[in-house]
Amino acid sequence: MSDANIFITEKSIEGDGDGPLAGTTVAVKDNISTEGVRTTCGSEMLEDYVPPYDATVVSSLKEAGATVVGKTNMDEFGMGTTTETSAFGATDNPAAPGHVPGGSSGGSAAAVAAGEADVALGSDTGGSIRCPAAFCGVVGIKPTYGLVSRYGLVAYGNSLEQIGPFANTVEDAAELLDVIAGSDERDATTRDAGDETDYADAATGDVDGLSIGVPTELLEGADEGVVETFWDAIADLEDRGAEYHEVSLPSVEHAVEAYYVIAMSEASSNLARFDGVRYGNSGGYEGNWNEAFSRAREEGFGDEVKRRILLGTYALSAGYHDKYYKKAQDARAWVKQDFDEALSEADVLASPTMPVPPFELGESLEDPLQMYLADANTVPVNLADLPAISVPAGETDGLPVGLQLIGPAFGERRLIRAASALA
Amino acid sequence: MTAQTVQQGDLVTVIGLEVHVQLETDTKIFCGCSTEPTDEPNENVCPVCLGLPGALPVLNEGAVEAAVKIGKAIDADIPEETRFHRKNYYYPDLPKNFQITQYDEPICADGELEISVEGDRRTVAIERAHLEEDPGSLQHVGGGGGIDTAEYTLVDYNRAGTPLMEIVTAPDFRSPDEVRAFLAELEEVLEYLGVFDAERDGSLRIDANLSIIPEEEIDGDAEEIDGDALEAANRTEVKNISSHKGAQKALAYEETRQKNAIQRGRAVEQETRHWDESRGITVSMRSKEEEKDYRYFEEADLPPLQVSGWKAEIAIPELPRARRRRFQEEYGLSEEAASKLTSTKQVADFYEDVAGEFDPDLAATWVADNLLGELNYRDMEITEMEGRLEEVTRLVELVAEDEITAKNARETVLRSMLDDGASPDEIVEEEGLGKTDEDEVQQAVVEAIDENPGAVEDYESGDDGAINFLVGQVMQKTGGSADPGDVNQLLRAELEG
Ligand SMILES: [Zn+2]
Repeated sequence: MSDANIFITEKSIEGDGDGPLAGTTVAVKDNISTEGVRTTCGSEMLEDYVPPYDATVVSSLKEAGATVVGKTNMDEFGMGTTTETSAFGATDNPAAPGHVPGGSSGGSAAAVAAGEADVALGSDTGGSIRCPAAFCGVVGIKPTYGLVSRYGLVAYGNSLEQIGPFANTVEDAAELLDVIAGSDERDATTRDAGDETDYADAATGDVDGLSIGVPTELLEGADEGVVETFWDAIADLEDRGAEYHEVSLPSVEHAVEAYYVIAMSEASSNLARFDGVRYGNSGGYEGNWNEAFSRAREEGFGDEVKRRILLGTYALSAGYHDKYYKKAQDARAWVKQDFDEALSEADVLASPTMPVPPFELGESLEDPLQMYLADANTVPVNLADLPAISVPAGETDGLPVGLQLIGPAFGERRLIRAASALA
Repeated sequence: MTAQTVQQGDLVTVIGLEVHVQLETDTKIFCGCSTEPTDEPNENVCPVCLGLPGALPVLNEGAVEAAVKIGKAIDADIPEETRFHRKNYYYPDLPKNFQITQYDEPICADGELEISVEGDRRTVAIERAHLEEDPGSLQHVGGGGGIDTAEYTLVDYNRAGTPLMEIVTAPDFRSPDEVRAFLAELEEVLEYLGVFDAERDGSLRIDANLSIIPEEEIDGDAEEIDGDALEAANRTEVKNISSHKGAQKALAYEETRQKNAIQRGRAVEQETRHWDESRGITVSMRSKEEEKDYRYFEEADLPPLQVSGWKAEIAIPELPRARRRRFQEEYGLSEEAASKLTSTKQVADFYEDVAGEFDPDLAATWVADNLLGELNYRDMEITEMEGRLEEVTRLVELVAEDEITAKNARETVLRSMLDDGASPDEIVEEEGLGKTDEDEVQQAVVEAIDENPGAVEDYESGDDGAINFLVGQVMQKTGGSADPGDVNQLLRAELEG
């Protein structure tokens, strides 16, 4: 194993028999529950938490014959864009040593990039699969909300997030998606769209006649080298018979604010259960139970998690609820509408996945706001519940650049067909 | 409003209720765990009701069905679509530190329930009724047993996730008696609907708001309270009430306490008070409750549920009030008898079984007076007779067919059935209570005398031959099985006596 700090827990979990993933090794993000194997979410709070049950996707992996090789590093509870907020230390980027692997599913992307696993599972609340896929030069798919069961995924922003695959090729990622997609009676938000759908056989690379919409807003403010690499990739698709035109998504200028208000509000509630009674350090405190809860949370959570819980609590509070939470919901509806319109004029939308190349390790921790803005191209997709894929588009100054394709709800086959022309 | 409520001169009592009812479903509201009470702590639990990281709620439609039944019974509006919210607060009995409940789109809105108090009928408005999950339960050990003083506290999640219906009334009550009548009626209705088990510990929990308002601040009829006057008055919230009798006692205590304070010129604190059932008093909760901000927001893990068609699809049985009226009309019963016979659904169903086979009056006497009377004397419920009601029917049959006397049936057979568990036929046999041939002959003698006043008059005026006519009548009635000499003697004894 490399010293890139990819895994929080290395542990081999063998699947049953000879399913479609027999012989395939899978790295699993450490916020996806594995029975009998600790699931830390990159947090000291859950350092010793061993789930008594498997997430539905883990059961699916086992049934498909896959071998889980370990639980990967991540930003604490998924809150970060670099995997540096993990209580277990930063992960190095195998495709660009000395740089962050992106986040929050940095360990999973790095595992695939470093060859530690054939494929991996991550989760994407506002870009947490696509960002590390772009930074590590691998493929990552954020499925339509409701395509993959979230049962067993430790929630951060539960109205926004999905579990999705990483792989070196679009076809391999699609194969993994075949295994995890589909309705689940344990997750009431799942739909049956993935039950009978075959994703791997859509990876034909055929983009002849494909119409690509490029939202101009998602190029504004992006790094020059990133934009150049993006256009090279679009030109490549054009050469194969696709056409592109510019489209507009005026609402996305509010998307980052709306996303953070919603995600933090949900997080403030989702993480409330970690109070020291059953997780983290408990007991031994003077004072009443309320003070004991506060102490346990103060000690168990890292700074970024505390920041988001506090902001989320504030956004939901009486007197601020309408100003922040409700306004963010209105913005979310507006973003959805914009995507619907743009996708009525194009088969898929394309943008750079990240407006910047990977940061150097340690570079960004100082300025959370800069971090939040780096999510500008990925968060609108989560607000709109849509599917998106990030594929390697090339490099700038030797650093990987990702191309993001966005499709209509449950349009994963279309995305896979288009993206497979590039990887 | 009746005079009794505007008592003590010029003060009016205003009470509103929040009633928490555990719904009787096989499984919990958001997971497949059993709701069956168990002595083993943390036995009926799973990742969902323990609130383990990553677990997701899935709505038990049985709980929604029960809620729709309640909605129909209280004549509430049921929306096209209902949804769930999270109510965020920290408490050690709450597995997720938030409770999944309903906020702005409850399953029932604007209902009502009719009650009668000492013959007066009143309608109590029910503002809303919504579904939510029950928290776990805490056991404080040592240090006086309070959460702030205990040495340690044990948490049991068996109860966590039991479906609850919170029923919120308008401030429509003017006396603790009305509250009691309402709760008794509500319990009866819920029990009729088959969604509630009164026997289960903690199945009914009541919070009550009580204010005392000077009469002159109320516009005209005391039934219509001015919202501003109510807002201006300090109210206390009384918690920890668990029965309709307890509610009446707690609120009567609180009403007197507040009126005394006002009459002595002292202010009534706006506060939360705890009903101490064993001491029969309300106690101020020491830690003054801060105004809580529950930060409600939508529960995204549960998609909105379309319930528009449910109201039409879900049937509810005839409710106690309607059944009471029908019993009076159909079986010619008094209001009192009809009330007794509809007090629970089992009693009413059983009465209708018996009344279908035998005379409704006889059935009423047997079910309302004899059976319920003897059960009550033994502190038993009709539910404890489950499986033995056929035996009671058999007993009524024995009486109806004159095989035993009513007195023996009631005083010997029924009591021994309840005390010793024997069947009526066994008891009749054992005690030798079956009517003999002599009883039959004796009865024929009495009848012959009743039916032939002419012959009796002749006999009494000295015509001894008239006795032969009466003997003939008795012989006819007994099908010739009696001995004419005995009959002659029995007749003479009856006529002389
Ligand atoms: Zn459960």
